[in-house]
Amino acid sequence: MTSTTTPPATGPEAPAPGRPGARLVRAALRHPAVVPVGAVVLALLIGAVIILAAGLDPVTAYAAVISGALEPGSLDYTFSVWGFIIGMALAAAIPLRMGEFNLGGNGQLVLGGLTAAVIAGNLPLPGPIVIPLAVLGAAVVSGAFGAISAPLATRFGIPIIISTLLLSPIAVAVVSYLVRFPLGEAGAAVAQTPRLPQDARMWALGDLSYSNVGLLIILALLVVFWLVDSRSAVGFELRVVGANRRFGAYGGVRVGRLALGAMAAAGAAAGVVGAVMVMSSPFRLIDGALISPGYTFAGLAAALLAGGRPALIPVTAILFTVLQVGGAAMERSADVPRQLSDVLQGVVIVVLALRTVLDQRRTERSSA
Amino acid sequence: MTSTSGNDADAAGLDGPAASAVPAVELIGIGKRFGAVVANADVDLVLRRGTVHAVMGENGAGKSTLMSMLFGLLEPDSGEIRIDGRPVRFAGPLDAIAAGLGMVHQHFRLFDTMTVAENVVYGAEPRRPGFFGRGVVDRAAAAARVRELSERYGLESDPDAVVGSLSAGARQRVEILKALHRDARILILDEPTAVLTPNEVTSLFAVIRRAAEGGATVVLVTHKIHEVLSVSDEVTVLRDGRVTGRFATAEATAASLVHAMTGRAIDEVRNPRTGTPGATVLEVSGLTVGDSGAGSGSGSRTSPGGGGVAAVSDVSFEVRAGEIVGIAGVSGNGQHELVAAVLGTLPARSGRVRILGDDVAGRSVRDRRALGLAVIPEDRRGEGSAVTMSVAENVTLGHHRTPPIGSASGVGRGWMSIRAERARARELIRDYDVRTSGELQPIGALSGGNAQKVVIARELSHRAPLVIAEQPTQGVDVGAIESIHGRLLEHRADGGALLLVSHEISELLALADRILVMYAGRIVAEFPADEATTARIGAAMAGAAEAASEPDPEDPES
Ligand SMILES: Nc1ncnc2c1ncn2[C@@H]1O[C@H](COP(=O)(O)OP(=O)(O)OP(=O)(O)O)[C@@H](O)[C@H]1O
Ligand SMILES: [Mg+2]
Repeated sequence: MTSTTTPPATGPEAPAPGRPGARLVRAALRHPAVVPVGAVVLALLIGAVIILAAGLDPVTAYAAVISGALEPGSLDYTFSVWGFIIGMALAAAIPLRMGEFNLGGNGQLVLGGLTAAVIAGNLPLPGPIVIPLAVLGAAVVSGAFGAISAPLATRFGIPIIISTLLLSPIAVAVVSYLVRFPLGEAGAAVAQTPRLPQDARMWALGDLSYSNVGLLIILALLVVFWLVDSRSAVGFELRVVGANRRFGAYGGVRVGRLALGAMAAAGAAAGVVGAVMVMSSPFRLIDGALISPGYTFAGLAAALLAGGRPALIPVTAILFTVLQVGGAAMERSADVPRQLSDVLQGVVIVVLALRTVLDQRRTERSSA
Repeated sequence: MTSTSGNDADAAGLDGPAASAVPAVELIGIGKRFGAVVANADVDLVLRRGTVHAVMGENGAGKSTLMSMLFGLLEPDSGEIRIDGRPVRFAGPLDAIAAGLGMVHQHFRLFDTMTVAENVVYGAEPRRPGFFGRGVVDRAAAAARVRELSERYGLESDPDAVVGSLSAGARQRVEILKALHRDARILILDEPTAVLTPNEVTSLFAVIRRAAEGGATVVLVTHKIHEVLSVSDEVTVLRDGRVTGRFATAEATAASLVHAMTGRAIDEVRNPRTGTPGATVLEVSGLTVGDSGAGSGSGSRTSPGGGGVAAVSDVSFEVRAGEIVGIAGVSGNGQHELVAAVLGTLPARSGRVRILGDDVAGRSVRDRRALGLAVIPEDRRGEGSAVTMSVAENVTLGHHRTPPIGSASGVGRGWMSIRAERARARELIRDYDVRTSGELQPIGALSGGNAQKVVIARELSHRAPLVIAEQPTQGVDVGAIESIHGRLLEHRADGGALLLVSHEISELLALADRILVMYAGRIVAEFPADEATTARIGAAMAGAAEAASEPDPEDPES
């Protein structure tokens, strides 16, 4: 406790106590953007410490990240990664809007990839039919897989965060088996499906070699989510349940059905990403190739950083795209292993998850 | 610590009669704004040691804001706070606690999943002795401390009970114990009685008086005039953030307080008891609802029969069109579970509920609401609103699929018009006189009574044939009580059916055509309006097991 010797103030016009600067800082600290931005800054600082500890220069390393991701030659690739991360961010953000965590992105992603590979590789149909069919099929299969978690939660009380996490490796293992044996290309050294016929490859965008129409499909999904979130009854219900589940239930929101829809949509988004990846170069499903770049994790981090808000996802996705793409460049030119970008994503996720837990505690306390 | 003047320094060293010349707390010229809203302007408040000081005022008058500044939760824009004559500046509640203040908030701040003892000692835990023990909370000592405090102040409380299972009254006692545990000499109680039943209020006031006689200083924020007249020594009245009246309670009258609060006289509205009820709108027969676990128990006043008892057992009644049926009862006797079972948020174990003739067994909350049901819930923050969402969004839930906001058919089906949402919110804010800076303000930033008006506006604007209202006037000021009562009576006059659950016997007497009394999950008595009296209802509420000899806190006019 502090006490002062200032003369008593007598009216409302008396000078305000407390230095205005300090109060401004305190008010600024309560701004909702502080935690997310702080998480990113903290992550970058921790990264810098790690780089320093390895005896390297963080400034050159970070410079390499940025130039590696944004140099004109690699923009084509960077944009395609941005699209994949946005897609996986959607898979996390849709359930996040109602306060649920989808940690099963990997399983949903590979199932979508597998479905697209099977449809596109086996149906001898013209492109304009087979490509949408493959994307749709992937969305349906992955959506159905994602939706399993909703009844598990409403009927059996298994939290969505747990069931998605546990179901995902099963799907990954099954797909891996299928790619290795029944569906694999005979005689290949690697476990992979045969190359897709020319007609069944995703339409190119001009002469770009990485970004294709798949990127536009994913961006269209983002726009749809934004519209649904801000303008539709279902989006309103998602936000209400996310803000206070009991309020939603009391107000007549069918929370179980909503969870089913959200998880199906989340799975479908991941499935579309899987389909687009398989139908892009090298036009086949290679065992492990869909998950190893870590788009699921990066997408989850981008969604958390955006608080699930669709309008912010493209922005936060840029950050993780730069880390992801630039990480490789950093490894090449500054000798810093690219796993560093995983560490940075991890720190961001931990800080934001901590905030969620603290927020929950606070709301729990204010119950009457 | 430094003191401002020689006089104060003299007094500060002393305790006892000489020191009481220096007030325990002085607030001088306090001002506070939130953006364009002036919450407090030039407020002076003097609290003398060993007295109970009541602070009154309409919803949004700035009472909670003033108390938050005294407790260090908010920083005044201008003015000065003196404790024992010395100017202080609190950087946060911890400073205030160190200076001997304790606060019980309008909305409880307890951890539902922790025990009473854990909540009481939270932040000031007794530690185990010894080097390694220091990091460990001494649970036994905590429980002993709770028992000791309970005994000393007559605050009945079970240290091992989980807070989530307690009634509002029992939680209130936990909040007070929390303040007492930290040796508060100055107790701030912000609307402590809004959620309490008459008997709980009586025992709370006994505690308050005992604390004041022991030399503590108590500030009591309340809307209820009879409480002010019965427990306080002095009264300060706020209106629109300014002091509009200071009284010694002995010289105050109900009319003078109302006038200072509202600037006008308030006419009490009453049920005219005209007209005959029409067709049955709600029919409940043989309804039994299982124990819902958290929130259903009645805490330390355990319901007779012990564990495993149904929260509602074999309840039957009906509510007809143009009729108001009141349900009286000490909180935690199954009223809330009864409402939840009718709404569909809690499953019924057996029995039947019919809304406008339709059996609603197995129907969702949405279907039941679509049949014509609206509910004003008891727990405004936990169930009746989403504090982080805007006023507009809060009044929209349930109306978002119907015109003018939504559209039930055609191409617009499933989409919402944000413009219509905001226009409708503005209209309701105007109609219900909600004091807010705009429809986009988060409802959590509204004063308690204004948030309650938002909830009521949302539910009554359904124009549903059946309305269930649980504690509809908790935390709202005298003027707003009359206007809410007026709307509930309008609903009746328009041929609506109303089930009114209330702790306020005076409210039930003013509004209800029939009053049912619930005790231990059963309906134990029914009174037609002309046979109902405070004494008879009070006796029935206390049940067969408890003596009906408790003093009647409802009598003074209010
Ligand atoms: N955090 C905040 N942000 C913006 N405005 C606020 C905030 N807190 C309070 N206000 C405004 O300040 C005014 C005073 O609010 P306060 O909570 O002090 O009222 P009150 O007298 O306690 O009312 P009630 O009896 O309804 O609890 C109100 O108009 C309210 O909307
Ligand atoms: Mg208040």
